[in-house]
Amino acid sequence: MFEPRIKLDRELYERVKKTAERAGYSSVEEFVVHLLEKATADADRAQGKEEVRKRLQGLGYIE
Amino acid sequence: MSDRLDPQRDFITIVSGLPRSGTSLMLQMLAAGGMPVLSDGVRPADDDNPHGYFEWEQVKSLKQDASWVPAAVGKAVKAIYWFLQDFPAGHTYRVIFLRRNLDEVLLSQAKMLERRGTRETSRDDRRMKLLFEQELREIDAWLAQQSAMTTLNVDYQAVLNAPAEQAARVDRFLGGGLNVAAMAAAVDPGLYRSRR
Repeated sequence: MFEPRIKLDRELYERVKKTAERAGYSSVEEFVVHLLEKATADADRAQGKEEVRKRLQGLGYIE
Repeated sequence: MSDRLDPQRDFITIVSGLPRSGTSLMLQMLAAGGMPVLSDGVRPADDDNPHGYFEWEQVKSLKQDASWVPAAVGKAVKAIYWFLQDFPAGHTYRVIFLRRNLDEVLLSQAKMLERRGTRETSRDDRRMKLLFEQELREIDAWLAQQSAMTTLNVDYQAVLNAPAEQAARVDRFLGGGLNVAAMAAAVDPGLYRSRR
């Protein structure tokens, strides 16, 4: 089965690895996946907020 | 805007919820019951709200100017959930939060958007439902942490089905003294048009 992979340069990888260890993650992969999930959710939420704002504006409840 | 200030109510009553969840109806009930309400009539009655919107335009710019808020003590003001977090500290608030079936809310909003000729908003109801569910979860969590805000959840359908009972609940929440019979009589079941 195809598993997507992401390339990191060595220096960044070492920094990420140290941070993941300090933060108590069991692996670099677990840490990176967690960060990406959070960043994606935050971006989705910001997009959702904007959609809600447009809806409320369209209804005349906000300016 | 009424000048009467009920000395028994040293708090500000906020009627809140999603747009098209029954907030105007609740303001109408409170006004009928003798509660002074902040309403400027800027948004006139129309097909979507034949009895009026009972809105206070300054709520929309509350974040920039809250100078009117002290004068709202003892009175009721309508503010959709979006603005709740903009009310300033230093006052106590009682929030009547209207709850309505989200499918009905969206249907009613769709009719309103159609009448207003608004095109720049998503018409994807499934997406909007998810977003509003998220919005409600967030505002509920926020309200639960506010020591200066006490919340009474009022179900729109329950108001239509048992107006006297719900009017009495609201009256108790606000410390009593309102004309409950007049509040109940203000409920016009004919306005329940967006149902699913």
